[in-house]
Amino acid sequence: MKLELGKIHIHDVQFGEQTKIEKGVLYVNAKELEAEVLKDDRLAGCHIELARPGESVRITPVKDVIEPRLKVEGPGCVFPGIMGKVTEVGKGVTYCMDGACVVTVGKIVGFQEGVIDMSGVAADYCPFSKTQNVCVVMEPKEGLETHVYEAAGRMAGLTAATYLAKALKGMTPDETETFETKPLLEQIAQYPDLPRIGYIHMLQSQGLLHDTYYYGVDAKQIVPTIMYPTEIFDGAIVSGNCVAPCDKVTTYHHEHNPVIEDLFKKHGKTLNFIGVVLTNENVFLMDKERHSDMVAKLCEYMGMEGALLTEEGYGNPDTDLMMNCRKVTQHGTKVVIITDEFPGRDGKSYSLADLTPEANTMISCGNGNIVLHFPAMDKIIGTQESIEMQIGGWVGCKHEDGSFDAEIQIIIASTIANGFNHLCARQY
Amino acid sequence: MVKEIDRAGIPVTHICTVVPISLTIGANRIVPAVGIPYPLGDPTKGEKKSHEIREHLVTRALKALTVPVDKQTVFEEDF
Repeated sequence: MKLELGKIHIHDVQFGEQTKIEKGVLYVNAKELEAEVLKDDRLAGCHIELARPGESVRITPVKDVIEPRLKVEGPGCVFPGIMGKVTEVGKGVTYCMDGACVVTVGKIVGFQEGVIDMSGVAADYCPFSKTQNVCVVMEPKEGLETHVYEAAGRMAGLTAATYLAKALKGMTPDETETFETKPLLEQIAQYPDLPRIGYIHMLQSQGLLHDTYYYGVDAKQIVPTIMYPTEIFDGAIVSGNCVAPCDKVTTYHHEHNPVIEDLFKKHGKTLNFIGVVLTNENVFLMDKERHSDMVAKLCEYMGMEGALLTEEGYGNPDTDLMMNCRKVTQHGTKVVIITDEFPGRDGKSYSLADLTPEANTMISCGNGNIVLHFPAMDKIIGTQESIEMQIGGWVGCKHEDGSFDAEIQIIIASTIANGFNHLCARQY
Repeated sequence: MVKEIDRAGIPVTHICTVVPISLTIGANRIVPAVGIPYPLGDPTKGEKKSHEIREHLVTRALKALTVPVDKQTVFEEDF
């Protein structure tokens, strides 16, 4: 399966009479976009705001971040099974709006929604402080049940991204990258002398607003399966979760999965990247046992010599992480875990809720419990009224001048447990 | 909390949904519960059945308190 990603670089975003891209500037017709989002009768209101790097702007509570992408050649559409028919994706040509994002924001859904600061000290911890952000600010209809509001918010983001992506049509990419994975036997034969490496991608699927969708299927309903890596670049996986912001894998992070991107960089040079095993993080022990058994079986079946393993969220998914690590190792595949840590503000508690002796090679993406002072901003997109409730905050953490103190787990993607961000921990 | 109650010399049973975590943190008497969203019942089986499940698990947990253990023990079945 071969996919070409054409990147159109965006270095500014402005309102305009027509939604289009010109000389690297994304112009947004806000009225048209708002009307598109408001076709959903679960929403009472929607308005568009823009946020650019360096501005004194805070966006919160953030639900999801999405990069607009457009399928230009090949079957299917971006976000298959959600924004169009279910068709296999991951081959042909796809254009990306590189440097621009849709950010969904509005009254809190759950308590696990985050903050993006466009400047100041907290901006250093967030990848979306460096992107041109089209913020879709939503108001749910009165009395809307929480899970229905979550679904409406998720669709609003995907709808906005699909709308903006139309502006990519007919553009000439500034940069093109090609990715290819062959059918397993051919892929193994292509680089017989290189180690066969795979990726085990654990999708958040705890339910109760903690869900992920694969081709439109709720991930808690899947059993582990094999995916061509390029499928993910076409939006085969969509986030629908209210996980702790710091390690929430937003839809953007699925589109840009850093483990897959980096494995492709080394593919054919130092390793043979043979494929992805997708699994979930369900809330029943029987599911955890069954699915980790299946992950180990699939890795063995594919002839994987080594695997990188990531989770989303923390707490009970740490058990899935450790079960996968233990069983995959016992089936003969070496495992490296990439994760973040929650050892408390003093760093003295256990970093993870569960452990196994096989987890002897781990890469840390940082400590989510570190406290930071968030300075007051000139403008708030969304509302700060829930900061004390949002994970990372506490009663009394807000100050009268609009500043607050919170653990960095309140910042979207600050310690994201697939290595997308720049934090890490070293042991001396 | 389980460890501290144990340390104080009071027998304690950890009714828990994710047994591996309980084993990792060092609980000595463990009774597996139903699942994280509903540890002591099952709303999919109706109120009456859910109550029975709850009574069953709590009874097993209370009984586990009376059993001397010399290592971490998971009480999977009634005894």
